[in-house]
Amino acid sequence: MTQSGTEEPLADSRNVPALLSALRDRARSCTVLVTGTPGGSIHVRDGLVVAMETPGAPGIEGLLLRSGRISEEAWSAVRASDTTHEHLAAELVARGLVGAGELEVISLGALFDAAFALSLAVPDSWEVADPVPALHRNAGVTPERLLDEVSRRINLLAGEPGSVAALARTRVRSVSAAGLPGTAAGLPARHQEVLAHADGRGTARDIAFALGRGLFAVMMDLRHLLDRGLVQPHLPSAENRPSTAARGAPSAPLAGASAAPRSVPLPRREPGRNSAPELRPHD
Amino acid sequence: MSSLDTALDRVLTAPGISGAMLLDAVTGLTYAESGEVSGGRDSCEIAEIARTRLNRAGASGELESVVVTTSTRHLVTLQLARRGDPLLLCATVDRERTNLTWALRELHRHADELLA
Repeated sequence: MTQSGTEEPLADSRNVPALLSALRDRARSCTVLVTGTPGGSIHVRDGLVVAMETPGAPGIEGLLLRSGRISEEAWSAVRASDTTHEHLAAELVARGLVGAGELEVISLGALFDAAFALSLAVPDSWEVADPVPALHRNAGVTPERLLDEVSRRINLLAGEPGSVAALARTRVRSVSAAGLPGTAAGLPARHQEVLAHADGRGTARDIAFALGRGLFAVMMDLRHLLDRGLVQPHLPSAENRPSTAARGAPSAPLAGASAAPRSVPLPRREPGRNSAPELRPHD
Repeated sequence: MSSLDTALDRVLTAPGISGAMLLDAVTGLTYAESGEVSGGRDSCEIAEIARTRLNRAGASGELESVVVTTSTRHLVTLQLARRGDPLLLCATVDRERTNLTWALRELHRHADELLA
């Protein structure tokens, strides 16, 4: 754990929630940089958390773009008009690209979703840095409310200890019966979209990014689909699993095993031979 | 004051509506609240139960509203469709001060302005 910054060190920062509470008591404006997997940035203004960014959950930009609320061109124009990125939210509203209330909903939703994503793993370290511009439109949230909401979400998803983080890491795929006519007909449209993206290659996070929805919302939908037996965890089959066998030929064949193929040395690069390789018979 | 707080305060100017809150219909997150909202805490679960059971019973279409009535008040929940996950506008309506039809009309009027 490390701390840096221009002001005196924060004594009570044994974990990130304690650090945020200390920042709240001092009404600090700063950025808390969290390292780890997923890691992220927590933007604090006058002691209140106004935004969080993490690779673990879609941010405001991703939610606006991937959901189709605004186009890439419009977003680029907004960014170009505000090179400091301090007034992006006001610019989005002023241009009529998104309503003020709608942007506030998206901003708060992304903030709590990022807090939830960060809570699924123990951070490696964190440090307090100077504030940097962050896209947000909300009055700020107390650390206590953030913690309460994260706890509520984990309780809603938890079936057994550790199951929430495990669910977040699980790749899911729809079962074959989910594609039968009528099976998914009674599902809300959002469940059907999640079902369509459950191809065994992506986790809840991947689906959330693809759909431009929150991580927690997608996990709630996945839990519902799991309970109904319409999706299942995807376990890679043995033949598709990367080989973990020894790369080199064994020094002596095992008793009873067939003779090892003739050992062929790997091609070696030699000084002065940096040109393209010669064509091989199957090229 | 935030845009949502201001919009919800306007909802309370309607006679007989003593509380209002805006929730996420999927996550249950409270985006804003104003006035007496103790009855709205479980609105997300109630709406989800109504939605699920109605679908299983063969009803088609999206959920639009749920009204729970006690001897003194109505707890009205409107589902607000939008691009992305829907929201819930929940309101506490005093039965002695207004009637349900009027309250629904007022809530729909304010709902249109909420996200603008």
